[in-house]
Amino acid sequence: MNWQRLHGYLSYQSLMLGAVVLVTCAALGWAAQRTHDPILAAEAQDLRNNLSRVLPHGSYDNDLLQTRAQIDGPEGPLDVYRATLQGKPVAAIFAVHGRGYAGDIEVLLAISPEGALLGARVLKHKETPGLGDKIDVEKNPWITRFQGLSLGNPPVERWAVKKDGGDFDQFAGATITPRAVVKEIREGLEFFASHRQQLFGETLAAGESQ
Amino acid sequence: MSNYLRIAQDGLWSNNIVFAQVLGMCPTMAVTGSATNGLGMGLCTTLVLVCANLLVSMIRQAVTEAIRIPVFIVIIATLVTLLDMMMNAWAHALYQVLGLYIALIVANCAVLGRSEAFASKNGVVASTLDGLFMGLGFTFALTLIGAIRELIGNGTLFADAHLLLGSSFAFLETQVIPDYKGFLLMILPPGAFFALGFLLALKRWIDQRQQARQGIQAVPAAALGGGGCH
Amino acid sequence: MSETSVVHGPHAHAGPSLRRMMLEVILALLPATLYGFSQYGWPALFLFLTCVLCGLIIEALCLRLQKRPLRALGDGSALLSCWLLALSLPPWAPWWVALVGALLAIGLVKQLFGGLGQNLFNPAMAARVILLIAFPVEMTRWVQPLALGSLPAPGFLESLQITFGGAQTDAYSSATLLGHVKTELSRGTLLSDALADIYRPLQALLGERAGSMGESSSLLLALGGCFLLARRVITWQAPLGLTLGLALPALVMYLIDPLRYASPLYHLLSGGFMLTLWFIVTDPVTCPASAAGRLLFGLLCGVLIYLIRTYGSYPEAVAFALLLMNAATPLIDRYLRPRIYGRNRQGAALQPFNRRAP
Repeated sequence: MNWQRLHGYLSYQSLMLGAVVLVTCAALGWAAQRTHDPILAAEAQDLRNNLSRVLPHGSYDNDLLQTRAQIDGPEGPLDVYRATLQGKPVAAIFAVHGRGYAGDIEVLLAISPEGALLGARVLKHKETPGLGDKIDVEKNPWITRFQGLSLGNPPVERWAVKKDGGDFDQFAGATITPRAVVKEIREGLEFFASHRQQLFGETLAAGESQ
Repeated sequence: MSNYLRIAQDGLWSNNIVFAQVLGMCPTMAVTGSATNGLGMGLCTTLVLVCANLLVSMIRQAVTEAIRIPVFIVIIATLVTLLDMMMNAWAHALYQVLGLYIALIVANCAVLGRSEAFASKNGVVASTLDGLFMGLGFTFALTLIGAIRELIGNGTLFADAHLLLGSSFAFLETQVIPDYKGFLLMILPPGAFFALGFLLALKRWIDQRQQARQGIQAVPAAALGGGGCH
Repeated sequence: MSETSVVHGPHAHAGPSLRRMMLEVILALLPATLYGFSQYGWPALFLFLTCVLCGLIIEALCLRLQKRPLRALGDGSALLSCWLLALSLPPWAPWWVALVGALLAIGLVKQLFGGLGQNLFNPAMAARVILLIAFPVEMTRWVQPLALGSLPAPGFLESLQITFGGAQTDAYSSATLLGHVKTELSRGTLLSDALADIYRPLQALLGERAGSMGESSSLLLALGGCFLLARRVITWQAPLGLTLGLALPALVMYLIDPLRYASPLYHLLSGGFMLTLWFIVTDPVTCPASAAGRLLFGLLCGVLIYLIRTYGSYPEAVAFALLLMNAATPLIDRYLRPRIYGRNRQGAALQPFNRRAP
């Protein structure tokens, strides 16, 4: 076929462009369909991995993803996951947000029905590498310090970094980041204290009836 | 045959996307905080470059002057979107590291540049090879910048390589300088400019020495000085 | 226009050489520097010597690489840049901070841009900012002044350990005034409480407080500055602009809410302001050439210092503000050009004096 002869027609150009768009759209549509389920599975696995990081393996036996519920959080709707062991509630897991040095810091908390912190992990942050990123457990075990603590232990006024007269270490050269994380966790515990019923929902009732 | 050799040499060194064309500055600056990230971004871009060059050279006879830019960009955008979806589905760990930057490959004008400057004028084999070597040259540049920044900034090389290449490549991860204090600046954005500046100077120095040795008059540095987009 | 007239060529000759000017600036810095040594002891001296020595070696290396005569080393510009840098470092910083600082100031900021007179940014201040971003821990570790020879001050060998051996100095550490106030304010403390037991204007004037050597004695720095003014090494426009630029916003905010915003005097006497006022904004290379330009430069620089100190996340802002304004200098120079000798502001030639009116 002599392509050059067709090039002069205006209709050829629009048809050509249309054909290319049609083919690429078809390719995209097909790929979107093929990847839809794997993407959902990968994201679910991702979430499951994150959730399991705040709770020790074996301390619960339900599929956390199935227990997702939405309640009214301090900043709009909040996703809560409820861990149970043989039907008894073990923990409520939810994320808290706060402003660090360079942006939002998202911390995932697991809190037992008694109000004790079972685990806390930073999910997302933009803190300075080498300084503020020590809140990430892969860089520094600092955040494991919070395990087992609750609002009364230490007393509320000591929920602060040492520089502010509290109990928690700040990092050399970075105070703002750990201060933000401590505040976030404290606020998370306070939110838990005032919304315990809602956070555990049905599972608490089920656990107590047994 | 020497024609293909020339394509390889162009892509890897003399007409390198970063060091000679100074194109694709957005990923060059943004994703080179570590050698691993640079390598990952480079490989993704290489894949897109090869596919784009292949497709464009295949349909080059059918595409007219007037519609070539929209056709090329649609093809490139589609390829990038496909790559994005596939990585999200089947290489999720890698996607979490590079995901934000994959979409930026569309805006990397080096890709459109190769379609326009080479693939639309050359045969399928030559274009595919051009895409491959341009991509490898880009990968080389990004990995080098990433390695320099990581080494000076952190004292490590190829940290987290297992996330990118699988656990069998964990041996790449090395702590080059033990107990290194870290030179934060090199990991932060200014470090990319410092590293690129010094590498550009180094390439010119090497080229000039080579030319001097071959006794050729120094070619006016036309390749440099052209600003990149993005 | 056929009538030709003879006018003298626009040649002016000035006595002082570059070398002489540099030496006079160094002379002006000397009292404050010596006082700094006496305040912060041997470690400060070691750090200072390391910084200056490294700077001179790097300058010499750069000159060699460029195949330029080593004579240029004698103009004192590298010495002055490193001197200023040393004055703005924490006095007890380890030796490698000084080495990297000298490398950045002389190698990167000065010589890579083309050497003396070609640099866009002030070498000392640019190096300080890069160091601060790169080594935030070392660059924010300040010590209380301990007079040389007094009992708690470290001895000679102990000081060698501090500068070269990486000895821990946490026992002596202390916050600077600006840093302390920033921390307290971010906790919600009232300014008056934050300042209560740390801020005394007289102390700030004399310089008995935590900070870098160049941040300590406002009085001695001002003395040196006045000497330079009298010797006409520096001009008055940029310092005046800087003072007004910082003091006016501070005054307005202080009058609005004295509980949250510090007084102008506090701003003028704290941090690296005095050093910048007399020795940095008066740098002929990186500041605008015309008198109006220098006034504007100082004014904007002062406003930036106030804004960054008050609303930024770093407690001290002088170096950041200065770099931003250095970057704006070519723009200022474009709009506020100095009048060319023999021409008016529009660039048209002036009427020669000895030409009679037609």
